[in-house]
Amino acid sequence: MSGETLTAPMAEALAAPRAQLHRVLRWGLFATALLVVAPFLLDTYTVNILIRALFLAALALTVDILWGYTGVLTFGQSAFFGVGAYACALVFTHYGFGPGWAVFALILGILAAMAVGLLVGWLAFYHGASPLYASIVTLALPIVLTQVVFAGGRYTGSSSGLSGFPTYYWDLEVWFWIAGAFLILVTCLAVLFVRSDMGRVLVAIRENEMRCAYLGIPVSRIKILLMVAMGAIGAAAGFGYAAFTNVVAPELTGFLLGTELLIWVALGGRGTIIGPVLGTIAIDVTSSYLSGSLPFVWKLIIGTAFVLVIVVLPQGLLPELGKALRRLLRRKPAPRPVPTLQVTASKPPGDEAEIPLVVEGVERHFGSLQVLQGIDFRVGRGELLSLVGPNGAGKTTLIRCLADGMEKSGGRVVIFGKDLGRWPPDRCVALGIGRKFQAASIYDTLTVAECLRLARYRLERFSLWQVTPVLQLPEAALRIVKETGLAERLDVEVRHLSHGQKQALDLAMVLALEPSIVLLDEPTAGLTKTERERIGGILTSLVERERLSVLLVEHDLNFVRQISSRVIVMHQGKIVLDGSVAEVVDSALVREIYAGSSHPVTEAGA
Amino acid sequence: MSVLILDIVTTAAILFTVATGLMIILGVMKLINFAHGAFLTIGGYAAYITTLAGWSPWLAIPFAALVGLVLGLVVEIFIVRPLYSRPLDAILATWGLGIIIGQLITIAFGREVQFAEPPVSGAVEFLGLSYSTYRLLLVMVALIVGAGLTGLLYFTRFGLNARAVIMNEDLARGLGIDSTKVRLATFGLGAALASMAGALITPLISVDPNLGLPWLVNSFMLVLTSGVSIPGLLIVSLLLGGAQVVVSTYLSPIIGGLTIVVLAALILRIRPQGIGWGGS
Repeated sequence: MSGETLTAPMAEALAAPRAQLHRVLRWGLFATALLVVAPFLLDTYTVNILIRALFLAALALTVDILWGYTGVLTFGQSAFFGVGAYACALVFTHYGFGPGWAVFALILGILAAMAVGLLVGWLAFYHGASPLYASIVTLALPIVLTQVVFAGGRYTGSSSGLSGFPTYYWDLEVWFWIAGAFLILVTCLAVLFVRSDMGRVLVAIRENEMRCAYLGIPVSRIKILLMVAMGAIGAAAGFGYAAFTNVVAPELTGFLLGTELLIWVALGGRGTIIGPVLGTIAIDVTSSYLSGSLPFVWKLIIGTAFVLVIVVLPQGLLPELGKALRRLLRRKPAPRPVPTLQVTASKPPGDEAEIPLVVEGVERHFGSLQVLQGIDFRVGRGELLSLVGPNGAGKTTLIRCLADGMEKSGGRVVIFGKDLGRWPPDRCVALGIGRKFQAASIYDTLTVAECLRLARYRLERFSLWQVTPVLQLPEAALRIVKETGLAERLDVEVRHLSHGQKQALDLAMVLALEPSIVLLDEPTAGLTKTERERIGGILTSLVERERLSVLLVEHDLNFVRQISSRVIVMHQGKIVLDGSVAEVVDSALVREIYAGSSHPVTEAGA
Repeated sequence: MSVLILDIVTTAAILFTVATGLMIILGVMKLINFAHGAFLTIGGYAAYITTLAGWSPWLAIPFAALVGLVLGLVVEIFIVRPLYSRPLDAILATWGLGIIIGQLITIAFGREVQFAEPPVSGAVEFLGLSYSTYRLLLVMVALIVGAGLTGLLYFTRFGLNARAVIMNEDLARGLGIDSTKVRLATFGLGAALASMAGALITPLISVDPNLGLPWLVNSFMLVLTSGVSIPGLLIVSLLLGGAQVVVSTYLSPIIGGLTIVVLAALILRIRPQGIGWGGS
């Protein structure tokens, strides 16, 4: 590739990130210009309430990234705001005031918020945690912090808070510019971030967290780091808010502000960046105007709008407006960037000298129901092993036990000499396991290229601010992408693909992990004969040319016969036969199991 | 010491009564009703209206339940039904509903604190102590509610259908159970229970538009920790409610107010399914 001159699409792809950066910069400059002139056009009261709204909008953005993009419903973002605000108030009240103290208080607030974020993240995000649990923890957080403030007595000002501490009594315009510059900076960074490689990972986590783990993405760690980062931004916003208003109260850390943030984000449009920003500013400013005349009615309107939006327009108001506007102007939404495909040499993990997969006495039971018992077998390099058996024999359960250390109830799974232990799926991927699910479980709202890139998480650096213009795939994955016509549809969202293409993409993603051991659960279910033969060809070439180990669950005995080098027959949670294709497929036992005789195991001694 | 035990038992009874409405909805509908606090508030105002009208304070309880039932049915049809497949959104929509109810109450009755007449007052001699009659009465109420719900779930046609929906909604529908109707009835029942609980607790606290809020969070935590079962809820009400009383008495009421939330969050970290006593 390196020797060739750049092709036209390649040059275009390389220019895309820069164009994206320029677009964001142009919008940023436009917003800055607006920011500079605004205080001279607006009256003092409006500028005053706008400053507060600008800080709150930055906080709302952090809620949006956690909830709108990543799917973590958080009630507790106000807590981080409160930590930053109280850091400011406490330092200025009790310790000192001046530029040095201000920087100290800001850093203190951010560090404290990051520590809280780390604690919350560690509590809320672990492998197998339900999404609800994160909401519970983020609900508990502001309640606990508010009580801590209450318990602080005169030090924290208890329920009346702290006010009148020394601060910079700059002109209103200066504060407006500070708040606005902060918001513009956070917004621009957020736009670049959510559209970057990493931003797509967040969406993937929202859409299907479990699948992400099987692509080797450390979901829990990403969520924890995100919580910490969003906490830091929230604390910075809180610091600015406190320094400007010169008042802090327990409400700033409270659960009610946390829910208000959700309302602003939902109305503005979750999963967009500009929506929550404008939503927050519009609602907060209107609230301030109406708080004198119609306080209850206004809150009633907001509550009603919130319920309506959640029920009828879950994407929020702004995206709907945008869609209508585009329709009016006959403009299409901006196309998603398409990377150029490049082949990369695959170097699957695993020690040459070790046996790829050793399974010893693996068991699985659900309560008293024994689904797997005493499973023992080994898979060598370059073997294509088919698992056959009637429904309910435990084939899929066995596959599950190989790809997730938490699944098995007993026994050992050893990959290249390393015990899998109770490792979660993302660490199993690092050992060389690639698992394809029975149903193509991919991300409906991501494009083909974005899905393929997700599988490269373990192997490549994911940019935080741009879409990498080149997508590197190992040869086998690239071959599937090209042969099934996916290469021409890289920018198409997955939900528009046919069933066959989805299955092919799913398989290409598994191979893009560069696994040493591939676990496939009925990869050909529902495919046409041609598609099936193509997949068979790819699998046999993987085994022959790259010496991978493939473990296949399959019902179609003809397909098994064509491609396997070995077959294992399972029945009622046990292995009843293990041998070459000829030995197994034509045995009387297999015919009997499939025909449904009741005591096949007694004959198996033969 | 005996006072402490009575405090624990009566607090647990109150928590149990307040949380049952939330639990029945979560159990059958897999839905977290964040309007639960608002339904408690509605019950509180129903009791207040009873006092205003000069009716017997005993009437407050059925009156609150009736108001809750009617509102619950309306809410289920218009707000909850479209959100079956979006559980996190259902939390938000019901929270928004709570805001609406709170504002309507504020517009109708103002923000001032009101008081409702208790059905009984004073203290009785109990185990050699003088203790609030009303709090002891609430223990009876909790037992009746618990027994009544168990009876409803295990000895009636509705209970059979509801349990079928709990275990496997698709299969239940396949067997000809109208799960939509079961859900409607469940939400109505849950809202009625919440309103009734609101009326029951108002003699102990004052009535204001935000009456339900602190109870919502505690109920939510208790229900999740209980593993969504009636005996489980009884046990966690006693354990966590007891911890709250002990901490409030010996340490500080402020930290006491946090006990349930913090303990529940920690218990759920270790056992995500709750204490899981007594099945589902």
